[in-house]
Amino acid sequence: MTAIGDVLHLLITANLWQATLTAAVLLLLPALGGVISERSGVVNIAMEGMMLTGAFFGVVADLAWHNPWLATLVAMVAGGLMALIHAVVSIRFRADQIVSGIAINIFAAGLTVFLVNRIYGLQDVGHVGQSELLPNFNVPVLDQIPFIGQVVFQQNVIVYIALILLVLVHVVLFRTRLGLRIRAVGEHPQAADTAGINVYAIRYGAVITSGLLSGLSGAFLAIGISNTFVPNMTDGRGYIALAAMIFGKWTPFGAFVACVIFGLGEAIYANNSIIHISQYLLSMLPYIITLVVLAGLVGRSNPPAADGLPYVPGSE
Amino acid sequence: MRIARRVAGGLAMPLGSVLFAFIAGAIILLVTGANPLDAYGGLLCGGLGVACSQGENPALQISNTIVFTIPLITAGVAVALPFRAGLFNIGVEGQFLAGAMACTAIGIKFSSLPGPVLLPMVLIGGMVAGSLWAGVAGVLKATTGAHEVVTTIMMNYIAQWLLRYLIIGGPLQLGPGTSRSLPIGAGAQLATFLPATNALFLGLPSSVYRVHTGLLLALVAAAVFAFFLWRTSLGYEIRAVGQSQRAARYAGVSVRRTIIVTMLIAGAFSGLTGAIQIAGIDHSLTDIFFSDTTGFDAIAVALLGLGSSVGIVLASLLFGALHSGGAVMQADAGISSNLVLVVQALILFSIAANFIGAIRQKLPFGRPPSTALPPELPPAAGLMTEAAAPPPEPA
Repeated sequence: MTAIGDVLHLLITANLWQATLTAAVLLLLPALGGVISERSGVVNIAMEGMMLTGAFFGVVADLAWHNPWLATLVAMVAGGLMALIHAVVSIRFRADQIVSGIAINIFAAGLTVFLVNRIYGLQDVGHVGQSELLPNFNVPVLDQIPFIGQVVFQQNVIVYIALILLVLVHVVLFRTRLGLRIRAVGEHPQAADTAGINVYAIRYGAVITSGLLSGLSGAFLAIGISNTFVPNMTDGRGYIALAAMIFGKWTPFGAFVACVIFGLGEAIYANNSIIHISQYLLSMLPYIITLVVLAGLVGRSNPPAADGLPYVPGSE
Repeated sequence: MRIARRVAGGLAMPLGSVLFAFIAGAIILLVTGANPLDAYGGLLCGGLGVACSQGENPALQISNTIVFTIPLITAGVAVALPFRAGLFNIGVEGQFLAGAMACTAIGIKFSSLPGPVLLPMVLIGGMVAGSLWAGVAGVLKATTGAHEVVTTIMMNYIAQWLLRYLIIGGPLQLGPGTSRSLPIGAGAQLATFLPATNALFLGLPSSVYRVHTGLLLALVAAAVFAFFLWRTSLGYEIRAVGQSQRAARYAGVSVRRTIIVTMLIAGAFSGLTGAIQIAGIDHSLTDIFFSDTTGFDAIAVALLGLGSSVGIVLASLLFGALHSGGAVMQADAGISSNLVLVVQALILFSIAANFIGAIRQKLPFGRPPSTALPPELPPAAGLMTEAAAPPPEPA
């Protein structure tokens, strides 16, 4: 079978793995947000909406101010504000967190297109100039390492930021007092409260952080990889990130591995000229893999014990 | 008197939520420099056929509203039924598409068969397909404990991509370069109430009114839902499982079996929705279905309708009117019909957070709201944690 040989050959090209890492980071950022939010006990299926909001406001800000860094900040704040809605509704008002998450996603899908129409009329949003995109950056010296250099050190700046955040989130969650508090609040909020931890503050912080990270991913998508906003451009990535989070058993590095697997699938398709299966059939793969994983091939996943439970002070 | 007060109390939450959404929507419109009166005027005209500024035909608007209402009724049932068992079916969209795809495939394959044979075939085919789609989530939940919210989201996307494959390059494609399927046979189509002729009806050729007999099917489905839930033993078991899995188990109910059966039945309602939409309106799969939101609208319908069949029909009418009105609002007032999604999301926020209860608590004569969720909602508690512990069965 030459086709299999060709794919195997593709697997040892640096181009493929470079593209894989880019695609993985797009999923990793919201997945990290999901890990933080759910570790604190707030179910978050709203990464899709937060990411979409970030993508939209990133483009709007970049078109207005011609500064990708400022635009990225705006995108993160926009994602954070969406997360704040989710936080208020599900922490303060103790709403069903799934319903709130769905509402955020519908809200984002509707609001972004509504605003496109308010701001730009019925035409296109317009395109961000090449010089106003989030830049690629080759790390000096390291980018000369064979293979690894191209895969890891010739990337968009956001990729480096995401990899640093990956380590940072892991360290904070599992090696610091703050991380212990976040996990305590997600496992047993009553006990955490008794120990003097402010449950609400931790949960608000965690949910808003998930919005900031999702917004950052939206900015990477809209003004890093692409150069404009199109309706629903996140195309389910927030949901794949959710799957990656569960796949990775609510840990940063586990989620990263899942993101790389999903990213590899995307990259293989984009880079090959051999596989002639419909792109649409291949697009089902991440979802099917997730179902198979959930069906128990990788063992039971154990989410935080209080995930999804609103905290009522004084309750058992 | 007491009954009147109870009805008023029951309606306060849904009506208050709708009111909240429209007020918040108006604020969004004002902030973005649009005139809420223009926007809501457009919605009113397109939804109910009143106060039309551009000479729209009122009868046509009402006809369009009903056309949008039909799928929401059956899809709303597909969300409301699993709610009663404590299951959150956010996979109605995927099940709906599965039903539409099966209906279309059968309607094309057997297009020469006569209506009395083919129509039941496509409708039942759609129901079976939707059932299988939902059944995956049900079986996974019952056997491995995989949470249905996550599995149904995955199934939604699988359906979306399968649909694209089928009509772009796949076996159902009309022809190269198109993104639609062949049309289904004439026998697979649901009749419209008015003949498809040029005879004038209320000022327009009767063929433009698309209201079809699927309306009757949807109303029957809503009645079947109520009967099934409250008058059959299976309905009792579903409610028992939703109230307390442990208690249901002691009462001799097989929780696993109930979970799977509930999802299968809910999927049949979703699949029927897709089949009715194809047989009644579209007659072929098109790229409109790529951006379809029926399954998500259904969540708002089920919550706003408080999970009852009458409530679901009323909520479907509201959302049908909003959808129909959105198109007119966009044409007349130049405001994107996506405002409807914004309003819908605001309604969801309001119901989920029980804003109305919080407001009533602040009022001097208001009764304090219960901190518990409305009974129609499955408790968020354990939404993810259940994944770790599938319901054990007695030996």
